[in-house]
Amino acid sequence: MFRNLRIGPRLVLLTLLGGSLVVGTITGFCYFFGSRQIEQDMREKAISVALGTASQIEVVQRGVEKVLSGCAARIQDSAASPERVATILQDTVAKNPEIFGAAFAYASDGSRQHAPYVYRSGAHLLRKDLATDNYHYDVWDWYTLPRDLQRPVWSEPYFDKGGGGTLMVTYSAPLYQAEGSGRKLLGVVTCNVSLNWLTTLLKSIRFGETGYAFLVSKNGAYICHPRQDYVVKETLFSAAEEAGRPELRTIGRRMTAGETGFIPLRNLVSNAPSHLAFAPVPATGWSVSVVVSDAELLAPVVSLSRSVAAVGAAGFGILLLITLFIARTITRPVRLLDEATATLALGDLDAPLPNIPGNDEIAHLAESFSRMRIELKRSMAELQRTTAAKQKIESELEIARSIQMSLVPRTFPAFPDRPEFDLYAELHPARAIGGDFYDFFMLDQNRICIAIGDVSDKGVPAALFMAVVRTFLKAIWRDEESPAKTLRRLNDELAEDNATCMFVTLFCAVLDLRNGSMRYACGGHNLPYILGRDGTVRCIKRLQGVTVGAMEGMIFAEGEERMVPGEVFFLYTDGISEAMNQAEELFGEERLKDALQCFAGEASVSDLVEDVRNRVESFTDGAEQSDDLTMVAFRYLGLPER
Amino acid sequence: MMTRFILILSTCIVLAVPLLFPATNSPAATERPPAPVTITLQWLPQSQFAGYYVALDKGFYRKRGLEVKIRHAGPEQDSLASLVDGSADFATTFLTPALRRRDSRLPLINIAQIVHRSTTMLIARKQSGISSIMDLNGKRISLWKGDLGVPFQAVLTSHEITPSRIFDQNYSVNLFLLGGVDACSAMYYNEYNMLYQTGLNEGDLVTFPLRDYGADIPEDGIYCLESTWNNRPQQCRAFRQATLEGWRYALAHPEEALHSVMKRVFDAHLPTNRSHMRWMLEKILPAIIPGTGDSWQAGVLSPDDYAKAVELMKRQGIIHRAPSYESFHPTGGSHVP
Repeated sequence: MFRNLRIGPRLVLLTLLGGSLVVGTITGFCYFFGSRQIEQDMREKAISVALGTASQIEVVQRGVEKVLSGCAARIQDSAASPERVATILQDTVAKNPEIFGAAFAYASDGSRQHAPYVYRSGAHLLRKDLATDNYHYDVWDWYTLPRDLQRPVWSEPYFDKGGGGTLMVTYSAPLYQAEGSGRKLLGVVTCNVSLNWLTTLLKSIRFGETGYAFLVSKNGAYICHPRQDYVVKETLFSAAEEAGRPELRTIGRRMTAGETGFIPLRNLVSNAPSHLAFAPVPATGWSVSVVVSDAELLAPVVSLSRSVAAVGAAGFGILLLITLFIARTITRPVRLLDEATATLALGDLDAPLPNIPGNDEIAHLAESFSRMRIELKRSMAELQRTTAAKQKIESELEIARSIQMSLVPRTFPAFPDRPEFDLYAELHPARAIGGDFYDFFMLDQNRICIAIGDVSDKGVPAALFMAVVRTFLKAIWRDEESPAKTLRRLNDELAEDNATCMFVTLFCAVLDLRNGSMRYACGGHNLPYILGRDGTVRCIKRLQGVTVGAMEGMIFAEGEERMVPGEVFFLYTDGISEAMNQAEELFGEERLKDALQCFAGEASVSDLVEDVRNRVESFTDGAEQSDDLTMVAFRYLGLPER
Repeated sequence: MMTRFILILSTCIVLAVPLLFPATNSPAATERPPAPVTITLQWLPQSQFAGYYVALDKGFYRKRGLEVKIRHAGPEQDSLASLVDGSADFATTFLTPALRRRDSRLPLINIAQIVHRSTTMLIARKQSGISSIMDLNGKRISLWKGDLGVPFQAVLTSHEITPSRIFDQNYSVNLFLLGGVDACSAMYYNEYNMLYQTGLNEGDLVTFPLRDYGADIPEDGIYCLESTWNNRPQQCRAFRQATLEGWRYALAHPEEALHSVMKRVFDAHLPTNRSHMRWMLEKILPAIIPGTGDSWQAGVLSPDDYAKAVELMKRQGIIHRAPSYESFHPTGGSHVP
């Protein structure tokens, strides 16, 4: 997916991805572990606050319970005289500022009701009888519950009209008098306690800016809550229903069941994600809750995570700049190199390459480019030189070829006035001039000399050497008249002062046209064949003789052969026998013999030579030959009938 | 002869007036100042009375020429007492106390039966092992005192249930909540939901609606003294119609009705809440406006229900005699719209 992007953007993109991953992971870890730790801490803290508050309330309530039981004991002792009871009540209220009022309701028999009540009104204590024509206490919970349950009861909180609309809670206890074997209800002693102090206490509990505490009764009614409209009127369950939050009902049931807990929820004040800790107040079955907003709870973690993210982002930014810089240091020289090579490619090898300092890969690449340019330049110069040299060689070869060709007789028929024989020769110089040559000349009226040779070297030196050999040969032969002696003298002449150590293979023969007798000598050359008139091919006898010109004082043997009229004497150089095809197979002497065998009879020697050449060429099939192809064919016809 | 002539003449004049002044066709009611009327509802403001509040707030009384003042009785005051002392023209109460007071010679007339079905029930905790009404035998139960307790007593008697002890139940279900009794009395539309609002789930409770146990006694009705009915029957009918219109409106627009209720609940500083009032409205409406399967008519006390209630009260020895259906509920047979 990145293949199509340029290096710079690719590096930046990959850095961006990698960096974001690292920064994101670190921030995530930070947040996760941090928030877990904080949540753990907060759980303990919130629960302990809830428990602490619960126990504070408990202490006050237990105090009230104790005061009331003391009061009840005194009422019991006082033989229930109404006047005495009122005094005790007044005494109790006066001494206990947390108590707003206290009453003693005489056990009602339905008609007569009497309940002295002492209560605060400003700084004063007032007395009245709770029982009136319109108020019959025997239908109200504060009286009936302790009577029917036969135990003290904390009432549900209520707003007291008589108490100026203050939030109150009542504690009532039944009072009994022993009667016979059992006991008889004497009355119910009760006191009401203002919950203003509780409201103040709970308001003082702050968790951050938005955290708050609230208190619910045993029935789940709100006693203290920041939403004043909830107090007394709503219960945990009605609020849950009204808010359409069934999960709050479940939590509410846990609270009223006296459980302690710490749970996440959306609070009912701001609907923000929060945590709620709750703990019971055992005396009354109430439950204290502390609500902490998650945003505040996790504020330190969020801030930490934010810092981590910010530092990460800053580092990331720096990383990005560095990456951009690195990308530039790579791409700029590469681009310069690219432009320079484009110029190079156009052939301008002198155009300067950018100078890239340093010891990195790019610098090495630039260096390589520079070397390449120098090498290219050098090779170009070399190429020019070699091309020139080659051209020179070509022209030299051309010269050598013309030398070679000018040295061999090429006019056929060479002796049109001699009917005793027919002769044809051919020399196909190889591209590199093989140094082959042939010659024939009349030694006198009746004798013909035929020679064929192959100089060891190639090219111009070979051509020149060939010229020398031919000149010598012709000159010496006229002196010596014997092929062996001719070769011997030629050898000595050539070996002397032969600085180039060149030599030549040579075959020469002298033939008496009158009788067909032939004398010959061979200096390391391929032995010629004689084609009989009947198609037989025979090789002439091998004689002693080494290459000519290599070493002085060599002796050459001389052989004798007689040709009958019609026979063909066939001479050739190793260019024929060693002609090579594409598969590097040699044409070989067998193939040559086969070719010759096909040519018995009266065919002309020129046809014979041409046929052999054709065969060789078809064998080599275009493979370039390293040596010249040279053939001489001589047909002895004998003397004509006179 | 003379008298007859005058009568014819006056008739002619009466008939001629609209012909002479055809443009002034305003109803006579609006021309007269609205008549001040007071009704005392038997309990503190709550959805039990939503129809009256709606009729007042939407002007249903006013458009019938009534300037209605709503008063509330309560735990310390009996609504019928306001009829006796003349402080109110109308008062609402259950059928049972009305019959009892009629028996003790208070000349009460039912001008409209509002709540036709019994909404009362006995509630127990499933936990206490009570699953059928017979399981209440030997258990502690709390029952409302007085007239409200009559159908409960009747059911206990007819099923031969003898609780170990019967406690007086007054204005709260706290004795039940604190475990003082195994079962308590409740209105489906009120106490049942109060228990629910203390966190008790439906599955925690087992209920015995009295209507399922042969005591389907109609509840709220509108009453006035015989004299009021005799002297101002049109006012009585107007009040009845306007109130029923109020209830129909409440059925169609429950949130608006709830608003009328909550306004009064708030003004009275009552320790209750909107979701409770919504429940109450939802549960009481089917007993006021008949549904497709109901055989009774809104506002009309069915003769059968009346006969059953009388029979039950007599059987319980609470009353000894009862007026005829027609004299107790004169609007019933007349089929006034």
